[in-house]
Amino acid sequence: MQTKRTIFPSKLLPYILLAPQLAVTLIFFIWPALQAVKSSFEREDPFGFRTTFIWFDNYRRIFADPNYLSSLGRTAIFAISVTLLSMAISLLLAVAVNRLLRSGKVYTTLLVWPYAVAPVVVGILWWFIFNPSIGLAPYILRGLGISWNHRIDGNQAMILIIIAAAWKQISYNFLFFVAGLQSVPQSLNEAAAIDGAGPFKRFWTIIFPLISPTTFFLLIININYAMFDTFGIVDATTSGGPAQATNILVYKVYTDGVLNLNIGSSAAQSVILMLIVIALTIVQFRFVERRVQY
Amino acid sequence: MVENRPFLTFLTHLVLIAGVVIVVFPVYLAFIASTHGPGQFVSGLVPLLPGPHLVENYSTIWNEGLSSSGAPPIWVMMMNSLLMAVAIAVGKIAISLLSAYAIVYFKFPFRLLAFWIIFITLMLPVEVRIIPTFAVVANLGMLNSYQGLILPLIASATATFLFRQFFLTIPDELMEAARVDGAGPMKFFRDILLPLSRTNIAALFVILFIFGWVQYMWPLLVTSDSRYYTIVMGIKRLAASADSEPLWHLVMAAVILAMLPPVLVVIFMQRLFVKGLVETEK
Amino acid sequence: MATISLIDLMKSYGDIPAVKGVNLDVADGELIVLVGPSGCGKSTLLRMVAGLETVTSGSIEIGGRNVVKAEPAERDIAMVFQNYALYPHMTVRGNLEYGLKNRGTPREEINRRVREAADILEIGALLDRKPRQLSGGQRQRVAMGRAIVREPAAFLFDEPLSNLDAKLRVQMRVEIRKLQRRLKTTSLYVTHDQLEAMTLADRLVVMNSGLVEQIGTPTEVYDRPATLFVAGFIGSPPMNLIPVSSLSGNEVSAGLPSGTDIVGIRPDAFVLEQPAEPSLALEASVELLEPIGGESHLHVRLNSSGQSIVLSVPGRPEIAEVSDIVVHARLADLHPFSAQTGRRADNP
Repeated sequence: MQTKRTIFPSKLLPYILLAPQLAVTLIFFIWPALQAVKSSFEREDPFGFRTTFIWFDNYRRIFADPNYLSSLGRTAIFAISVTLLSMAISLLLAVAVNRLLRSGKVYTTLLVWPYAVAPVVVGILWWFIFNPSIGLAPYILRGLGISWNHRIDGNQAMILIIIAAAWKQISYNFLFFVAGLQSVPQSLNEAAAIDGAGPFKRFWTIIFPLISPTTFFLLIININYAMFDTFGIVDATTSGGPAQATNILVYKVYTDGVLNLNIGSSAAQSVILMLIVIALTIVQFRFVERRVQY
Repeated sequence: MVENRPFLTFLTHLVLIAGVVIVVFPVYLAFIASTHGPGQFVSGLVPLLPGPHLVENYSTIWNEGLSSSGAPPIWVMMMNSLLMAVAIAVGKIAISLLSAYAIVYFKFPFRLLAFWIIFITLMLPVEVRIIPTFAVVANLGMLNSYQGLILPLIASATATFLFRQFFLTIPDELMEAARVDGAGPMKFFRDILLPLSRTNIAALFVILFIFGWVQYMWPLLVTSDSRYYTIVMGIKRLAASADSEPLWHLVMAAVILAMLPPVLVVIFMQRLFVKGLVETEK
Repeated sequence: MATISLIDLMKSYGDIPAVKGVNLDVADGELIVLVGPSGCGKSTLLRMVAGLETVTSGSIEIGGRNVVKAEPAERDIAMVFQNYALYPHMTVRGNLEYGLKNRGTPREEINRRVREAADILEIGALLDRKPRQLSGGQRQRVAMGRAIVREPAAFLFDEPLSNLDAKLRVQMRVEIRKLQRRLKTTSLYVTHDQLEAMTLADRLVVMNSGLVEQIGTPTEVYDRPATLFVAGFIGSPPMNLIPVSSLSGNEVSAGLPSGTDIVGIRPDAFVLEQPAEPSLALEASVELLEPIGGESHLHVRLNSSGQSIVLSVPGRPEIAEVSDIVVHARLADLHPFSAQTGRRADNP
């Protein structure tokens, strides 16, 4: 790994400099993660007096549990929907802003701030809009002949958290798409125009392929976001209901562990989530290396 | 723009205005709700135009809070959030600057191992190690304390990588010139490296302040004493009680207050915010 | 003021040697230029003297004191870097003062030295600017100023002019020479530009793949290159190196020292008319004539061996390209070399 051509000769100092970061990491990250792995192979009796080592029983139990399997499926639907919805809207907005010169800055300012809104606040905002008794959305939907009540209808609940989660992520995706679009050399666009390609054709044949690294990067980041950063949204809107319809993995691991105190099962679920993050991170970093060529 | 097409320009603005409406509308609705009295929310439809109770609602929620929810007044929670967000941002920046400095400017045994240990934190968000992390904090006696809220969150691989990346772009000769000029490692760090990192530190501060402010699950786990509630977790308690009694006007006032500080930071420090966001993900 | 001595100085990176045993004595006030192609070890040598590279073996003495273990700051040297390495966030004044402040120099003394250096380098008006507001030449001056204010035992220059454009480079070269004469500070100067080396140096050190090829005044090195490498490196266009075997038809071998199998002939040693003194004649065909102002470069191919050589002739000779000519060189202007040892064959 890279260092400077000359380095300071101190022997002890680098360890002192690293100590705070490593202490926090080891105490609050590595050790608990190892504990999670350990507990995932154990069962605790109901009173917490005894733990027994049970190999993969917790995992076996999880994958035999229809609730967990349904949660897995629900999470996939949720993550994919949030990613696609949010990225599509963001790309459209980014392309539009990229066509403008001065006014683009104003639009950018108006579009980026939701990044700073906490997920749980996002949840409350949308919960308010879709509130079955006083919300604006159900009122309009009633006019269209659709009866909205996400407290009863699982699919409607899923739609609600997808909208809320996608809304928050628009600003993030937007900024990265704008950065990606700006790195496409204007000369390519001009060359294509001289070659007789219209604006839409130019976008799909020249620009979109050139920003594919950004798109792929955002794909990973958004899946990661939808799976892990949306706890607050779910907690504020549906609390995983109705009937587990919106009980995505990260919410389930919390309710099983913290509320229902099912330590072994929760630990096993944690380990599975860990493997998912590790896989996503590896994909992301292998891809970052390839991105250099652009 | 390659060619001038008025219709396309019109379409562009139309798309952007629609986008802004989508983004702004939920917050607009919340703000409108926060200016009305309780009577407006008994049944039927939420109001769409501002009402007369703005000052009254905000001062109520700021000073008294919602007694029925068991949460303290908003100002207490806002102060806790501010403290937590600033401490997390400063803490992350400080320890990341130091570790990046060690990794770039020194060679020592286990350097690569240290780098990987820091890297691993990327793969261990709090969501995947909830119970054991809670147990560690509990064993250290840090439940219901500011340390408990802050310390477990200040390790930062992304900040370390950002500074490492930045340090690598600083010409080697600068450090050599400083050595010839008689500066030791800590003097070089303070006199040369820190001032040069100013913009990066500011950009990172914006991002990390937001990160700290929007924390939800962690405060929910480690605080049960309402004195330590942050606004973002406290607001959930307000909202839960709002559904049973018509207190929407007060809840929405709290919602607006809860998002105001980080949103203002983004709007007024947009350049730093964009720099921080784009560079931490590189 | 100090002498510098390098004794059997060696540096290797793992198994790869960079400097393979260098001995050099620099007199007080002398300006020594280390010159050679990139990768020859000249920069590594300089950085070892500065204390920025560790020494694998051998020793370095500055002012009679062995400094191999000393930190750069303890060696009483100042360095001018190729990219200047000015502290970007400090003003020019801040840059000049930094090293003095670190040494705890009293305030009045700092002010006096900064004022003096600014006067010498004519940068007084720039003292409150930041480096990014300066032109390349001005930055170069500030970098020099930072070295001067320290009043060190020795200056170390690491290709200080290679970031400047050609015109400025000539100008700064003259200034550095004048400045060094005036301050009489012992200096080591690294460059890959042989013209810069020739014009600046009291003595030249020509290096190649980690070894010293020759040490001498610029005239000595030019007039009597000690090795084939130096012969080819110093002088522009470079010396023509012609195997004795292709001098057919000439009675030269008798006059050359034993062991000579290559003769070196400077491009300007060739003439087109046969001279009065004993000389050799070579038949060749003209390939290209390059007029470059006061003189012309004539690229010809020897008929005997097909080797291309370059002649430098005054004015603009009327010679058709692709024509046959005979070129002459006085025997006294030949440099005899042994291909086997790579060294001069007539060294005592």
